[in-house]
Amino acid sequence: MPAVLGFEGSANKIGVGVVRDGKVLANPRRTYVTPPGTGFLPGDTARHHRAVILDLLQEALTEAGLTSEDIDCIAYTKGPGMGAPLVSVAVVARTVAQLWNKPLLGVNHCIGHIEMGRLITGATNPTVLYVSGGNTQVIAYSEHRYRIFGETIDIAVGNCLDRFARVLKISNDPSPGYNIEQMAKRGKKLVELPYTVKGMDVSFSGILSFIEETVFAMLVEITERAMAHCGSQEALIVGGVGCNVRLQEMMETMCQERGARLFATDERFCIDNGAMIAQAGWEMFQAGHRTPLSESGITQRYRTDEVEVTWRD
Amino acid sequence: MQASGGGAGGAEDRDDQQSSRIPACQSGSGSAEGEAVRRAPQGRGGPGRGRAVMEAAVARPQGEQAPGGVGSAGDVAPLAVRPRRGEVVLVPFQSPLEADMARRSLLPDAQRHQGLIRKEFAVNGSDLLVRWTADDLAFIRLSMNPFLDQLSLVIRNIWSLGLPPRQSRS
Repeated sequence: MPAVLGFEGSANKIGVGVVRDGKVLANPRRTYVTPPGTGFLPGDTARHHRAVILDLLQEALTEAGLTSEDIDCIAYTKGPGMGAPLVSVAVVARTVAQLWNKPLLGVNHCIGHIEMGRLITGATNPTVLYVSGGNTQVIAYSEHRYRIFGETIDIAVGNCLDRFARVLKISNDPSPGYNIEQMAKRGKKLVELPYTVKGMDVSFSGILSFIEETVFAMLVEITERAMAHCGSQEALIVGGVGCNVRLQEMMETMCQERGARLFATDERFCIDNGAMIAQAGWEMFQAGHRTPLSESGITQRYRTDEVEVTWRD
Repeated sequence: MQASGGGAGGAEDRDDQQSSRIPACQSGSGSAEGEAVRRAPQGRGGPGRGRAVMEAAVARPQGEQAPGGVGSAGDVAPLAVRPRRGEVVLVPFQSPLEADMARRSLLPDAQRHQGLIRKEFAVNGSDLLVRWTADDLAFIRLSMNPFLDQLSLVIRNIWSLGLPPRQSRS
């Protein structure tokens, strides 16, 4: 019954998780939140991660009720993501692996999301909509690869929402996307032009409703196209933007029309977390993957389809 | 439990090509930069425990001479004529094991900006030596700051978890 410790810190969330045989034993996380109107920069984000990661490690072990003797493998996010935060987490993973004399595993962040989504929801072979601040991909599994059917040609959908929030100085606490969603729920009327002024007052919910409906409809379209191509009857949403209830509603409508089933996880596992890295690491460890220290450098551009998925048929 | 060949300290580390012998640095006598000594925060167990004293010595501009690299002294091929700047940081640890552990943790990401700056690691006894070489001192400064942050994290990591008894004795 191997237990895997996973480190995640590719963006502004840092998490340390422990997974053993399909059970999440611990998953503490911290988020680096910047003031409204600002985004998070690599150097500052890395500084935040360095300040909390060792405490998070202890927290994870305590929550799991385990010691170093009980851990069988150390997994960490090799990429993709922001360079400085990735490095800060990777050096800790390497040091811990040496101190405890455990094998090391570099995990693709996107695959971490997918494997956690499959674990939590029980979906067997879904078409995956991966939507977050850093990534937007439609993915289907085929012949030991997670194939990218479609993706953004510029910025991720979460990045689009975050930038919009930045312009409007919407709070980043707990996340700009969450606050956009809450404000958009109060929107009752869809307007074509995102401009609403009432005297000296302004109303933003119409603008935010417009943004969400449009970008989410785009995502539903490309997911449906991938499902049609693959003959898939399951769809799985992963990534931080996957927490958005409106997106889930729109995806559910599409799935129902196709007679397909929709799977999604809650904010514990949608948003970047250490347990998802531990889970993907667990699958890889069981399949015999190992990452030598000399090959454990981080990769800011680590494609989902670069990984040979030997743990699936 | 550890699968064969999978240990973090396993023999398959192919990083020796990066562990070039760093030649003894020339102290920058009379140089404007002089020597900067920065002491890391004290850890548990008193002043001597894991204290990292970092000495930055400015190497003279290399001119036509290529930076010292793999191979014995004297096997240096000249580069095109352009000034090269170098900095060496020496970090003493409590044991060769800790120094090598730090090297293995920091080395894999050392080559991320290889086009602009070259970073070489070596362990000499209980000392970790890191040498930067670049055309512009500004690149060295930009690289050194995050390196010191990462080094500090590795040292704190070793302090907080401690060496297991069997590794301490080796």
